[in-house]
Amino acid sequence: MSGDVAITLRNVVKRYGDHEVLRGIDLDVRHGEVTCLIGPSGSGKSTLLRCVAFLEEHDAGIIRIGGAPLGFDERPDGSRIRLPITEIARVRRNIGMVFQQFNLWPHMTALGNVAEGLRQVLRLHKREAHDRAMAHLTRVGLAERASYYPSQLSGGQQQRVAIARALAMDPKIMLFDEPTSSLDPELTGEVLNVMRDLAAEGMTMLVVTHEIGFAAHVAQHVVFLDQAQIALEGRASDVFRKPWHPRMAQFLETYLDRGASVLLGN
Amino acid sequence: MTWIHVYLLAVGAVVTAGLSVVSITVGLAIGILVCAASLSRAAPLRWAARVYVSFFRGVPLLVLLLLIYHLLPQIGIDVPGVVAALVGLTLCTSAYQAETLRGGFVNIAPGLVEAGRMIGLNATQLLVRIRAPIALRLTLPALVNEGIMILKASSLVSVVGVGDITRTAQNLSSSTYRPIEMFATAGVFYLLLNVIVTRGGNGLGRLLGLPRT
Amino acid sequence: MMDLDALSDAFPEILDGLWLTIFMWLAGSALAPLLGLAVALARRFGPAWVDRPLWAIVEVIRGTPFLVQMFLLYYGGPFIGLDLEPTTAGLLGLTIYGAAYFSEILRGGLIAVPKGHVEAALCVGLNRMQIIRRILLPEMTLLVLPASVNMFIVLLKETAVLSIVTVPELTMAVTGFGSANFAFTQAALVLALCYWSLTELSGLVGRALERRLDRFRIA
Ligand SMILES: Nc1ncnc2c1ncn2[C@@H]1O[C@H](COP(=O)(O)OP(=O)(O)OP(=O)(O)O)[C@@H](O)[C@H]1O
Ligand SMILES: [Mg+2]
Repeated sequence: MSGDVAITLRNVVKRYGDHEVLRGIDLDVRHGEVTCLIGPSGSGKSTLLRCVAFLEEHDAGIIRIGGAPLGFDERPDGSRIRLPITEIARVRRNIGMVFQQFNLWPHMTALGNVAEGLRQVLRLHKREAHDRAMAHLTRVGLAERASYYPSQLSGGQQQRVAIARALAMDPKIMLFDEPTSSLDPELTGEVLNVMRDLAAEGMTMLVVTHEIGFAAHVAQHVVFLDQAQIALEGRASDVFRKPWHPRMAQFLETYLDRGASVLLGN
Repeated sequence: MTWIHVYLLAVGAVVTAGLSVVSITVGLAIGILVCAASLSRAAPLRWAARVYVSFFRGVPLLVLLLLIYHLLPQIGIDVPGVVAALVGLTLCTSAYQAETLRGGFVNIAPGLVEAGRMIGLNATQLLVRIRAPIALRLTLPALVNEGIMILKASSLVSVVGVGDITRTAQNLSSSTYRPIEMFATAGVFYLLLNVIVTRGGNGLGRLLGLPRT
Repeated sequence: MMDLDALSDAFPEILDGLWLTIFMWLAGSALAPLLGLAVALARRFGPAWVDRPLWAIVEVIRGTPFLVQMFLLYYGGPFIGLDLEPTTAGLLGLTIYGAAYFSEILRGGLIAVPKGHVEAALCVGLNRMQIIRRILLPEMTLLVLPASVNMFIVLLKETAVLSIVTVPELTMAVTGFGSANFAFTQAALVLALCYWSLTELSGLVGRALERRLDRFRIA
């Protein structure tokens, strides 16, 4: 499984007005690997992830999901064409996304949230959608909360429902944008555990996180984004144990002093 | 449609504006009292305020005007239609303003009052220097809105014979057989008055340093 | 106090008036949000050129009195080939008037649905229509409930204005009875109490509904 490429970015550029938020990103995310994206606030991590989900449209370059171009394709002469909306939806089907703010739909129960895509997109029968949704809730440890509304769940539980909702669509790749950043420390653990299990099962994951401990122990690949560019990338052990890059060292000190100093061994 | 008609409607507009200004102003004064009663510690006062607000917001203004117009002479107060109209408009808007102001007071962040208490302001100072100005800032947009509501609602005074924009348009429409022009022009006058109220409200907001909406 | 014989004579008429008021109110309350929703959706998701004209129409309706609109429709209508029965004109007027306000309420609700909820739906693979139907409309409904209840009450009160253009609803029936019997004040008082009960009742129902929907609200 490992080896072939799940996501490829080539020279991806994203601008807001004349503000360049991604300046020619080249990145490969391999199948079956966990890739963690770290970097200071405003460096473009969320934007990169949202481009991969095609929630933002990149202005130049090409993004491939499992080899298929996402959103735009390049003609042999180098010009860009926008792909039809059905093609975008087809490629996006490979991707599940988990947001910092959970984004559960407040008018549906936990089960309803997970079953929604199964019913509306995959057009499963009620019974089957229910069973599959239930199985995914069980997987994140929330079977007995199936009939609760989001407002009746803790933040950690909401985020686990959101993970189940994404997993229910059977994606090949999971994107996480700071999934634990709006959670209390004690709730962070339960979400990270679910993610750890998922990684152990061989799910391809691209994770934006400030949880350096998670990145160091779970990720095969760590990408350090700084000022709209990839400043450093490599195996977790290499990136964290030898922060030869000055910005990286500074980042680890300022943002993550506790965990990082342990990792740095000083 | 001649300039005479426009002139007559403009006179009606002055009447409409006058009615609105008077009832909004007097209504604000009564509204403050009713609001104070609704926040008072005495339960009977709170109840009275509640019934007052509920009744005058719950009854259509037209019905209220008819009631007052016929009630006043019966209890021995013989007044022209304008006065009945003013009383009706004022009672109606005072109830809405009382409720708006109450919302403003209730929604003041408690920390702001506590900060005032900590620097040693007494209860009166807290009310005058902190709570009332903050409540006003919170409610100004709603009060401007109320001004526009009363402007439009005042069209109902035409039923008790007051020569406002609507009544004038009605008269002109039946004398000229040109209802479309007359009522459309009447509408334009209402829109103009709206713009004036909105502009005034924005100006007042700037004066108070409110965030622009 | 009140002339009881006269009251019992007029009772059927007053009851008819009450039913007509309730009918006009319910029909207007059903049609106005629908038309308002169409306007709100067109302004938010329709082609760009429909936005400005719709905005202008909505602002004109919201900026002028309902009474003037009814006069224009009822007395002006025949001049442009719109010769309507009072009741029909009344319902049409009430619907258009309410729709202008509802379009703004609903548009605000659509805008207030968190962007992330739509993005989550996109990621799960719902298409545009499904997102509108399954996510935006239900969430919007929740957000606009208090303002809508207010608006329903406004519509109830505006039905009284229809008496001026001779719709035989409650106000017309009761004042008609009153002026025929020189008992106008009592009649108006009864009328006021009728409306007061109706508005209080709808306020109660609205608040109960809001409480019931509370569990759908996050934070
Ligand atoms: N919709 C937008 N319009 C304009 N600028 C934007 C928009 N979204 C993001 N930006 C800008 O793009 C830059 C990158 O933002 P992004 O959210 O990707 O950063 P981030 O690395 O995820 O930061 P954080 O760690 O705070 O989440 C920032 O300077 C931000 O201000
Ligand atoms: Mg971010």
